[in-house]
Amino acid sequence: MRPRTLPRLLAGLALTLLLTATAGSCGTIDNSAGGTGEQFDKSDTSPAGPGTLRVLASSELADMAPVLEDAREATGVTVRTTYAGTLDAVEQIASGRAEKEYDAVWLSSNDYLRLRPDTAGRISNETPVMTSPVALGVRPEAVARLGWDPEKVTWSQLHQAVAAGRLTYGMTDPKRSNSGFSALVSVASGLSGAQSALSDGDVAKATPKLREFFTGQKLTSGSSGWLATAYGRRTDVDALVNYESVLLSTSGPLTVIRPSDGVVTADYPLTLLTAAPAAAKESAQRLTTYLRTPEAQRRITETTLRRPVVAGVDPAPRLDRGLRRELPFPGSRSVADGLLDAYDNTLRRPSRTVYVLDTSGSMRGERLTRLKAAIAELTADFRDREEVTLMPFGSAVKDAEVRTYTVDPADPAKARDAIRADAGRLSASGGTAIYSSLSEAYRALGSAPRDTFTSIVLMTDGENTDGMKAAGFDAFFRELPAEQRHTPVFPVLFGDSDRSELDHIAELTGGKLFDATKGSLEGAFEEIRGYQ
Amino acid sequence: MGFREHSARVRRILGIVLAVLLLGGVAVVLVTGGEKDQGTATKTVRGVIGSEKSEFFSDPDVVKALSAKGLTVSTETSGSWDMEQLPLQGYDFAFPSSKGPADELRAKAPDKAAAAPLRPFYSPLVVVAHSNAARVLAGNGLATLGARGTSGILKMDAYLDAVRADRGWRQLKGADKHTELSGTLFITSTDPMASNSGALYLAAASYVADGGRVADGKEAVTRTAPLLRKLTQVQGAQQTSSDAPFRDFVSGVGNPLVLVYESQVAAQLLAGRPMGDLVVLYPDTTVNSDHTLVPLTEGGKELGRLLAEDPELRRLAVRHGFRPQGAAPEFTEATNPYGQYLNQTLTGVRQAPVPTGAVLRDMARRARDQGGTA
Repeated sequence: MRPRTLPRLLAGLALTLLLTATAGSCGTIDNSAGGTGEQFDKSDTSPAGPGTLRVLASSELADMAPVLEDAREATGVTVRTTYAGTLDAVEQIASGRAEKEYDAVWLSSNDYLRLRPDTAGRISNETPVMTSPVALGVRPEAVARLGWDPEKVTWSQLHQAVAAGRLTYGMTDPKRSNSGFSALVSVASGLSGAQSALSDGDVAKATPKLREFFTGQKLTSGSSGWLATAYGRRTDVDALVNYESVLLSTSGPLTVIRPSDGVVTADYPLTLLTAAPAAAKESAQRLTTYLRTPEAQRRITETTLRRPVVAGVDPAPRLDRGLRRELPFPGSRSVADGLLDAYDNTLRRPSRTVYVLDTSGSMRGERLTRLKAAIAELTADFRDREEVTLMPFGSAVKDAEVRTYTVDPADPAKARDAIRADAGRLSASGGTAIYSSLSEAYRALGSAPRDTFTSIVLMTDGENTDGMKAAGFDAFFRELPAEQRHTPVFPVLFGDSDRSELDHIAELTGGKLFDATKGSLEGAFEEIRGYQ
Repeated sequence: MGFREHSARVRRILGIVLAVLLLGGVAVVLVTGGEKDQGTATKTVRGVIGSEKSEFFSDPDVVKALSAKGLTVSTETSGSWDMEQLPLQGYDFAFPSSKGPADELRAKAPDKAAAAPLRPFYSPLVVVAHSNAARVLAGNGLATLGARGTSGILKMDAYLDAVRADRGWRQLKGADKHTELSGTLFITSTDPMASNSGALYLAAASYVADGGRVADGKEAVTRTAPLLRKLTQVQGAQQTSSDAPFRDFVSGVGNPLVLVYESQVAAQLLAGRPMGDLVVLYPDTTVNSDHTLVPLTEGGKELGRLLAEDPELRRLAVRHGFRPQGAAPEFTEATNPYGQYLNQTLTGVRQAPVPTGAVLRDMARRARDQGGTA
């Protein structure tokens, strides 16, 4: 069991044993708490004792636990880590929230951070510790089928293979994760033929090819850990886009392709927050000095398969030594944000989402108010071309209130306003028919395959009381056509809902559980966007 | 994006960048060192330093050597070009990485005579290159290499011509044999608005591009602005300290040409680290990072004198790759085993003078400016 699923009391204990705890879970690469830091137990971020450094870190850094344990022995500095996605961390830094709770941030890269002028005053010393390029991990049989020499594959070849329907892949959401964003920058550079840092013109020029390239993206994710798990369930996805280090650590063989026309590389700078107390700054300096020793660098490359940054330390034998062109990261926020916006609203396959919402009697009052507010806030996040269905239920699905909207790029406000209005009219009555309603959602989505990222969000505040039982739903799900079984359910723990019941649903359908009992419902819904 | 909105944004960014450096300066790393058990009572002097000297001041041997002379030094780091914006009450010295800010700090000091700057050590800007890249540059008349091929001279005129012409690696003969040599030819530097080495790179380039003249005002800046913008814009996102691109280089990732201080390379060599396929290219016109100490009190003055004159401290400065001022047999002797990488006598390397802080800041601003309309 991963630390975040332990009860609150144990979570506090786990923190004191954090290094060991994360070491135990790092087989799954990522124990990200994901987007909203609020979902974490607050004991996590209490003021640090002497020799403790509170660090907000990229989720894949969970694999550094053994190295940090060595560092603690050598320097006396204990690192207390909280994991977050890049975008979330940047927001926390910009808003000033990070500096209240952490002394340092340790992201895969500070490139995006630096484009945000509102974060500039909040960070000081940056010490890159190790590097890893963003690459493609392709199933060896797919490499053979495509007749590729992994050393020589270019972005154009990847694009052509996808356009010809011969290559599919999974990638994290560029808006939430640096690996996804770096991949987006790489492929936009590669397909536009940009010779130096990307411009708006390059992005426009590459748009038709990029759209073709992203038809091959069959999996999206808010975190690299879940992406690897989801990939493991699918035999029809040929490749994963991620850091070289993550790809090489993924179970099951993957041939790592660093496209020969260029990559974007993460350099993991341990970065002090300006507001950190002097003692923490001193601890950070001791820690970074240690991490830059040849001994620590050797351990890092052997343990995590990232590349060392100290002369004379060779990369682990599994890392290919051939040099690659480094594709420049955009130097202006307008280009970076323009690229992200294009990805969301034009380039990627559209999302298709059903929100199965518990509006049973127990939701009456404050809970319903919170649900309405959360949906209203969420509407701003719906992407162009996205199809959204609100499916409220009590003792059964409330058919009269079920509506489906598609966000029209020509007038995106129309669907968003309508969804907000519908949410405002929700009312609480009846029992809680979780499983019948979920099966209705699958039926509503239908079996005709559509070229979308399809998912179901389940929000409930209680246990199942009406209709189909858990076993019935299991049987129903297993009978679904293979294509439909690719649609995951993302349950949201809220009110008095039963964690084990919802965990089981996530497990069965290949989804992921989100906890809104300690944080906000908006936060959970927002975080789920990364998976849709 | 409209012009007005744009320039307002630039102003805001500038304001914020200044604020960072101010805050950074007030807050950053205390390096008082660990050993406090020396018998003699020591005097503590506080100062603000450029970040590339923080490893020197935190070196336990440096702490010990200073302590033996009765000094405990406590430092905070700041961008060199922003020190003059700091309130300096309570400091004993300021130690920027360039003469320009040192002169401005002196002008601000209450007692100008006492604040006569000292330059205990310096380090020229160099370009580190992977050997493939260095050989292609040499094969196309952009550089010359020494007999061992591990150090050489970068011809700045030829390089700037290539930049003006948007030359790509693939237009250079011999580059097609190397996968990594594609895209526009450029040197990676740091953000000139946040970092000394990035600003000095522009100073050197503008000096060469303007026919050996030091930029002295708006007109001069305007003459070279298009070229400097090009040098900057092709790089995309820039780091704020030269440590990061140097580490990328060492890691075998990043651009094959990176601007660093010679001291960064020399410190690695002197620590006995094997440098792989590193080639050190000295630009034929470069700029020295003059680590210039401005004393603000008697204690600060004493520190400056010790750093400049004390044999042990001069030796320790060399350990960190710096060149002590004056005839420096210490540097020559220590780096003799690494002569194939280092141009010990800086033969064939001309020093470009550095413009004033105000001019250099204007240069940096114009180079970073994204819109091109300002």
